[in-house]
Amino acid sequence: MARTTSSDAAVVAALGVPAPAAPGSFASRLGRAAVLVAFVALVVMLGLTLAPANALELQYAVSLTLFAVATNLILGFGGLVSFGQGVFYGVGAYTVALGWMHHSLSFTEAMVLAPFFGAAAAIPLGMLALRTRRLYFSLLTLTLSQLAYVIAENQTNLTGGTNGVFGAMVPSWLLDPHTSFLFTVAIVAVAIAILWKIVHSPFGLVLRAIRDNRERVEALGVNVYAHELVAFVISAFFCSLAGSLFVVYSQSSYPEILNWTASGVPVFMAVIGGMYSFFGPVVGAFVYEFASHYLIEYTQDWQLVIGVVLLAIVLLRPDGLAGSLGSLRAWLRRRRPPVDGAPAAAAAAPESGGGPS
Amino acid sequence: MARFLTETIGTLSDAGSLFVVAAGLTLVFGAMRVINLAHGTFYMYGAFAVTTFAGTASGLRFWVAVVVAALVVAALGAVVQLGVVRFVVGKEPLTQLVATFAVLYILADVALHLWGSGARSVSAPLGVSGTFTLAGAYLPVYDLVIIGTAVLVGLVLWLLLSHTSLGWMIRAAVDDPELLQSGGVNLRRLHLAVFATGALLAALAGAIVTPQISVAPGMDQSIIVSSLLVVVIGGLGSVVGTAFAALIIGIADTVGTLVDPTWASTFMYFAVILVLVVRPWGLFGAPER
Repeated sequence: MARTTSSDAAVVAALGVPAPAAPGSFASRLGRAAVLVAFVALVVMLGLTLAPANALELQYAVSLTLFAVATNLILGFGGLVSFGQGVFYGVGAYTVALGWMHHSLSFTEAMVLAPFFGAAAAIPLGMLALRTRRLYFSLLTLTLSQLAYVIAENQTNLTGGTNGVFGAMVPSWLLDPHTSFLFTVAIVAVAIAILWKIVHSPFGLVLRAIRDNRERVEALGVNVYAHELVAFVISAFFCSLAGSLFVVYSQSSYPEILNWTASGVPVFMAVIGGMYSFFGPVVGAFVYEFASHYLIEYTQDWQLVIGVVLLAIVLLRPDGLAGSLGSLRAWLRRRRPPVDGAPAAAAAAPESGGGPS
Repeated sequence: MARFLTETIGTLSDAGSLFVVAAGLTLVFGAMRVINLAHGTFYMYGAFAVTTFAGTASGLRFWVAVVVAALVVAALGAVVQLGVVRFVVGKEPLTQLVATFAVLYILADVALHLWGSGARSVSAPLGVSGTFTLAGAYLPVYDLVIIGTAVLVGLVLWLLLSHTSLGWMIRAAVDDPELLQSGGVNLRRLHLAVFATGALLAALAGAIVTPQISVAPGMDQSIIVSSLLVVVIGGLGSVVGTAFAALIIGIADTVGTLVDPTWASTFMYFAVILVLVVRPWGLFGAPER
């Protein structure tokens, strides 16, 4: 791994990729950190003050943000459109549920093992899926997802079949909605921080370079296949972690969480929020989950509404809500008188008559 | 022998209806390079439309209902093409998949309003209901109707693609759409015709199988998976490959049921994985450029 990383750094230098958004000035880093801390604090405060039912709903949304961000590691940053991440979500959920049902694993053991099982499953499945490219990759991962669904549904002795596994698999200390909410937030926050590090590491930059210009990166001597496989496995690791959190939320696991439409959900979340932005899928997950949850209370037609939203975004704003936010910010910056030192000053200058340069 | 005949006819019938749906999917992909996840929706609409138009009477009216259903859904396909699909032609696979999935979602809700959430059924029309005896095996007559339809559709498609000017236009549209357009061919109209035909084939399959299945919501999502398996095995865009692949899937399913019912439904997925390991672009497809 160390060798790969060092050569990745060399590749990044060779490509002349502009430095990632991460460093920046001390002030902007501080500002970004403050926004992040404020956001987490807001979520935690909301979770603690909300009625138990709403806290539970928020907890589910938080766990889905991890599913969406983990999927987006290969989708937005790797350019691999997988309709099969539900497999790993399911592996995570079933690890906890079956560990409990067959009395072989304690809850803690299962929670720790779940992401590693997902990653282990991703090695052969990734090697298989990455034999194909682009559309065929999407269709093959969709097939794998459906295969996992059929197995979970039919191997009744092992998985409980269509009904899945229900029961007291979550320890009593986690049953209080506010505790389980905080538990979920803590795990998701750490996991997303790790994913952020990965995306902004030399490895993440090479992954993006592969997405944008595969041939050029290949010509630089990078093992493209190995990078994509590693990304696939990392994504599966965190998808499984999100799946194990699903059990904390629902105290059950059932086949529908790993079929192809379930695998499509994190993809849709990323598309709604913006797959080229790291936090876009987080926004997308909240929008998607609350839309489907609250729409169901008011209308039978939540699929229709989400379908229309998806269509509107994919046809009109392919970079999602995050992209819209970016263009809104650019628009505001152009209208506002330039602030000293702001990069927008240069862009605004020609419009304001163009002073001496 | 009787057992073998029963299984063979059943397999051919399943493969036949699957071929007709998948042929529409592969035709659209071949001509437009668009993968349509809402293709199964047209199949479901075809089936539901027959339950509406045929009513309870099961005579000539059934056949009229099948034709009307196919035509109505072809018109719906034209609407989807004009409203959504023409904007995603030539776009990234992700854009096409998400946009057509959105169509699937929207039309699934519309179907709930039109036909409700319960299951519906239609009985086979007189003359082709019941069974006939061959070599000691009791075989459903209606299976022959489905097999006949599939053979007919296969022949018509083959003639259309290889012996008519529409066929060479479709093939030319894939190789060099700009050259075709500068030759005076209206590409938009060609795409509209192809997409409506694809919808028609899906609806025809859905309509023709109604006497053998229970028509219910969710059909759209399950048939699109089987048809995707078929076109992936056959090679996207190849009608001949689709026919072979439908047979492979049908046989995999039947053999699976005979060998081990609890694993039966996984056989077709393993068939797909096996094919893609050997030829990642499908049996009759070409490697992606």
